[in-house]
Amino acid sequence: MVAAQRELTLKVQGVSKRFPGVLALDDVSLTVGKGEIVAVLGENGAGKSTLMRILAGVQRADSGTVVMGGEEVQISTVEKALDHGIALIHQELNLADNLDVGANIFLGREPRRFGWLIDKEHIRREAVGYLERVGLDVDPNYLVGGLTIGRQQMVEIAKALSIDARVLIMDEPTSSLSQKEADQLFVVIKDLASKGVSIVYISHRLGEVEAMADRVVVLRDGKNAGELKRDDISHENMVKLMVGRDVSQFYPHEPHEAGEVVMSVKGLVTPAHPSQKIDFSLRQGEIVGISGLVGAGRTELLQTLFGVTPALAGEILVDSEVRKITSPIDAIDSGLALVPEDRKQQGLILDMPIRENMSLATLLRDQNKGFLNCSMERNISQKMVEDLNVKTPSDGQIVRLLSGGNQQKVVLGKWLALEPKVLLLDEPTRGIDIGAKAEIYGLMEALAKTGVAILFVSSELEEILGMSDRALVMHEGRLTGELQRSELSEEAVMRLATGQSMEAA
Amino acid sequence: MKKIVGILGILIFVVIATIVLSDGIFLRPFNLENLIRRTALFGIISIGVGFVIITGGIDLSIGSVICLIGCGLPWLLTVHGWPLPIALFAAVLISLLIGLIHGLLITKLKLQPFVVTLCGLLMYRGVTRGFTGDQTQGFGSEFKGIRSIATAEIPLPFVEGFGVPAPCVFLVVVAVVAGIFLNQTIYGRYLLALGRSEEAARYSGINTDRMVILAYVICSLLAGLGGVLFVMDVNSAQPVDFGNFYELYAIAAAVLGGCSLRGGHGTIVGIVIGTALMQVLRNMITLVDVIPTHIEFAVIGAVILGGVMADELVKLVASRRVASK
Amino acid sequence: MRFQNVLKSGLFLAGFGLLVSCGQSNNSQSGDEGTGEKKPRVAFVTNGVASFWTVAQTGAEKAAADLGVEVSVHMPSGGITEQKRILEDLVTRGVDGIAVSPIDPKNQTELVNQLSEHTKLITHDSDAPTSSRLVYVGMDNYKAGRMCGELVKEALPDGGKIMIFIGRLEQDNSRRRRQGVIDEILGRDYNPTNFDPPGAVLSGGGYEILGTLTDQFDQVKGKANAEDTLSRHPDISAMVGLFAYNPPLILEALEQAKKIGQVKVIAFDEDPASLQGIIDGSVHGTIVQNPYMYGYRSVQVLKEIIDGDLSSIPENKFIEYPAKYIRKDNVKEFWADLNEKLGEDSPASN
Repeated sequence: MVAAQRELTLKVQGVSKRFPGVLALDDVSLTVGKGEIVAVLGENGAGKSTLMRILAGVQRADSGTVVMGGEEVQISTVEKALDHGIALIHQELNLADNLDVGANIFLGREPRRFGWLIDKEHIRREAVGYLERVGLDVDPNYLVGGLTIGRQQMVEIAKALSIDARVLIMDEPTSSLSQKEADQLFVVIKDLASKGVSIVYISHRLGEVEAMADRVVVLRDGKNAGELKRDDISHENMVKLMVGRDVSQFYPHEPHEAGEVVMSVKGLVTPAHPSQKIDFSLRQGEIVGISGLVGAGRTELLQTLFGVTPALAGEILVDSEVRKITSPIDAIDSGLALVPEDRKQQGLILDMPIRENMSLATLLRDQNKGFLNCSMERNISQKMVEDLNVKTPSDGQIVRLLSGGNQQKVVLGKWLALEPKVLLLDEPTRGIDIGAKAEIYGLMEALAKTGVAILFVSSELEEILGMSDRALVMHEGRLTGELQRSELSEEAVMRLATGQSMEAA
Repeated sequence: MKKIVGILGILIFVVIATIVLSDGIFLRPFNLENLIRRTALFGIISIGVGFVIITGGIDLSIGSVICLIGCGLPWLLTVHGWPLPIALFAAVLISLLIGLIHGLLITKLKLQPFVVTLCGLLMYRGVTRGFTGDQTQGFGSEFKGIRSIATAEIPLPFVEGFGVPAPCVFLVVVAVVAGIFLNQTIYGRYLLALGRSEEAARYSGINTDRMVILAYVICSLLAGLGGVLFVMDVNSAQPVDFGNFYELYAIAAAVLGGCSLRGGHGTIVGIVIGTALMQVLRNMITLVDVIPTHIEFAVIGAVILGGVMADELVKLVASRRVASK
Repeated sequence: MRFQNVLKSGLFLAGFGLLVSCGQSNNSQSGDEGTGEKKPRVAFVTNGVASFWTVAQTGAEKAAADLGVEVSVHMPSGGITEQKRILEDLVTRGVDGIAVSPIDPKNQTELVNQLSEHTKLITHDSDAPTSSRLVYVGMDNYKAGRMCGELVKEALPDGGKIMIFIGRLEQDNSRRRRQGVIDEILGRDYNPTNFDPPGAVLSGGGYEILGTLTDQFDQVKGKANAEDTLSRHPDISAMVGLFAYNPPLILEALEQAKKIGQVKVIAFDEDPASLQGIIDGSVHGTIVQNPYMYGYRSVQVLKEIIDGDLSSIPENKFIEYPAKYIRKDNVKEFWADLNEKLGEDSPASN
């Protein structure tokens, strides 16, 4: 079947959305036919999530039209979106753990008896039907909290069906599923599509998209970057559209002369994956990327190295010395620094000025018998603002008022002031505009030249490929392989990331 | 310090209003001495709770700690004849232990501060009523010497008929030390940082647990000091109601003085001004005919609410102005 | 005793734990249960916690021992709601008789009536005259107030400015007591139903009553009231403290203002500081009640009622223990007797 022959269910035209400082969507269009599975691809920050939130009524577009079944509709609230038959299944599921399956399916739309009593029998009867459609064999009275994530997702889909959704938007549905659960999900999705439900499918896993999508729509920097028809869908084509530029120019990477080993990790067991042991080492001046799917245990590995969630077993050696790291204090003592994934919660104190954020980690070192060393504090923060090109009127500015990129520079500045031997970066460019991204890449490069060992986690494959001297790939808490720069390719990383062995590559 | 301008303005307004309405009685040396003494006594406990509030916590046990120490000290001295230094040492030790236990329960067992200190509120008063047999404790006509730390007045050169009440010395010392600690030391900075974001502070290598425990220890120690001074001032303490609700006066003063119960904000000067405002209000209600004494709490409540509202409105206007730039 | 003191200190240091066995036990049941027939059980409920009530407790327990009754003494610390809870619990437990000092008799009448359907109920210290209580053991607070007023006039024969201090005015006994003082000073006729608002300035016969200040049992506030009065009225002639702890707080404030002796203090009840003040001359005098007999007689009368003997209940249902004047001439004798009843060593009283 060819897309053009389908009856159009959803037609989005010329949608734009501006956030303070960023044009998140710029004249974006999207069509979805009846029973069609359309995959929407793009890097983080390309505008996929914003588009989906607009369709689901969570956010409102600044301009543009949405047409459902030939009729223009105004989607101002989530309720309106549901009324028009658009349902969003969010990455983090939206279920009440403490209620049973039936209650979740009818949450907020409970059938009533006598006007105010919940009609439980009716719920039960209906729920069984919807559960059957998604192939889920559980009793509607079962508590949702007791189901696996995969089964909870089916409940979400059943809930969407119960409101008679004509367009089902799924945001990274497989990110926390096992392979078996994902396979079941694909069967259900295909089945729904064959019954006329339109699916908008967002995923980073190109393999899935290749296997399932009828059509691929790619967004880049808030614009339509192109479309691929069923027959043109291939890994290579998708990546080309997503990146859209010459990768080598954007990433300032030069191979580094790796020096002595600074840090080595032996048999490390993280609390998140207590059955896996991790071994690797880092050399001076080396940039090592860690890749893997969401939930592979990358963030958890960095947090264990930094002592936030202390290791259950294993050794961390810094400069060939065994270090007992049970808190960030120990990690800092050992010469480690972490730029955490959640910048606003863990990296910064948003209501404090730049200067006080910059000095937070160095206060102890620069103290004057317990008293603040104000002049040194000022010098360091002003130097960092200058060196890192933080765009601000002064270093007395409250951090909350800075843009994401400048906030990230403040976090980096805090750690650089401490002159760490090993810099751990967790998603260092998440939610940052292109210009600031480039600056951060340049900074990583410059630091590596001075001999700092950099270990960074990224969900953007392109970033891993562009910046790493070497990449470690994780799958379900296990280090599945290590790729030298010469071996780095998207296929190789993806294969390891999905748990296949090196030999198969 | 624009934060304390508002509250200082209210204080000055209330003072002027009281002077006018009371025909100048307010300014009589004896009245000023009394006001300064009361502000000093309540100021000390308010500074204590200020530290806890800055970490984003709360201490509801202050009044009961005052009761425990305020009744326990004369009980040890008069009923058991303990030597003064040892009894004072015991008072310090107990206050310190209470703070330490609160801090440990809150940081290590992750209990909520409200719950921990609420239980403290119930327990310490109950324990005090137990060991005193619910009897009023006091020094009688003994211990005049040590009591002078709360009752004496320090004469000022060239000023007749007015002396600085001794507790004021304690307040000044406590406030200056607390102010320096909060603003000039790295530990003060740590407290302010972790009050705003405990997680970010921890990720920056700050031993946040230790700082939180320290805040509760400071709070209980100052409550204990308050208990000692209060009982020395009034010379009698009934376990049933000694110090009842004082935690709320202390919290109210801290909030008036610019502490946010969300943590991370607060100045010592603000807290002292907040305390002074509360005491001037109570004084005003007795001195001025216009306001019937039994609606005292209504007046105080309204002023606190007004102060906090004014504060938020000022912030709102300021942020609008920034946003519209 | 020695050992117990050591134990108490230890527990105080520990700062925690439930001190069940220490201090003044509120439940003093006689130990010989099960030996003879079942003893009648009665309860003595006060209106708060005070040393005054400790004396009453001694009396009640003495009566219980003398008459073979089991008595439990309850001192509510949480005001009227706690008193209600205690009374209801006692009825649930099935005591044979209750003697209570109602905190707010006017509004507790219904409660008293309900309770008296289930148990023998009498009032002491403060009466609920319109209720169905069987008898009232105590004194007339209005009368005692007038006696206190006489002391004021004695101290200020040439008139002067007077301020009255009291814990709170919600209680019937404190209203009547205060009204008695006012009516006596102003030379009004005997009329217990008068009520002057606490803020009103009243004058007559050369006396000016500036007002009445309450503190809701917060001693720090009580002292502040006295201090503020001295600020506001430097020419004040007398301060009258009508709750036991008020006179000592007045003395503290006077001492700070260095006005001991210049301002007359008239006390009520028998706080040691007030008695010491009478000896020292800083307090003109005090009016004392007879809490020991309240306790003793309440238990005695309950026992008689339970046994069906109503002969000792007078026509007006009022067993009166009139208040007494304590001045410099009889203070030492009174204090010695009080200490004997409390079982304490006599404190320094020179």
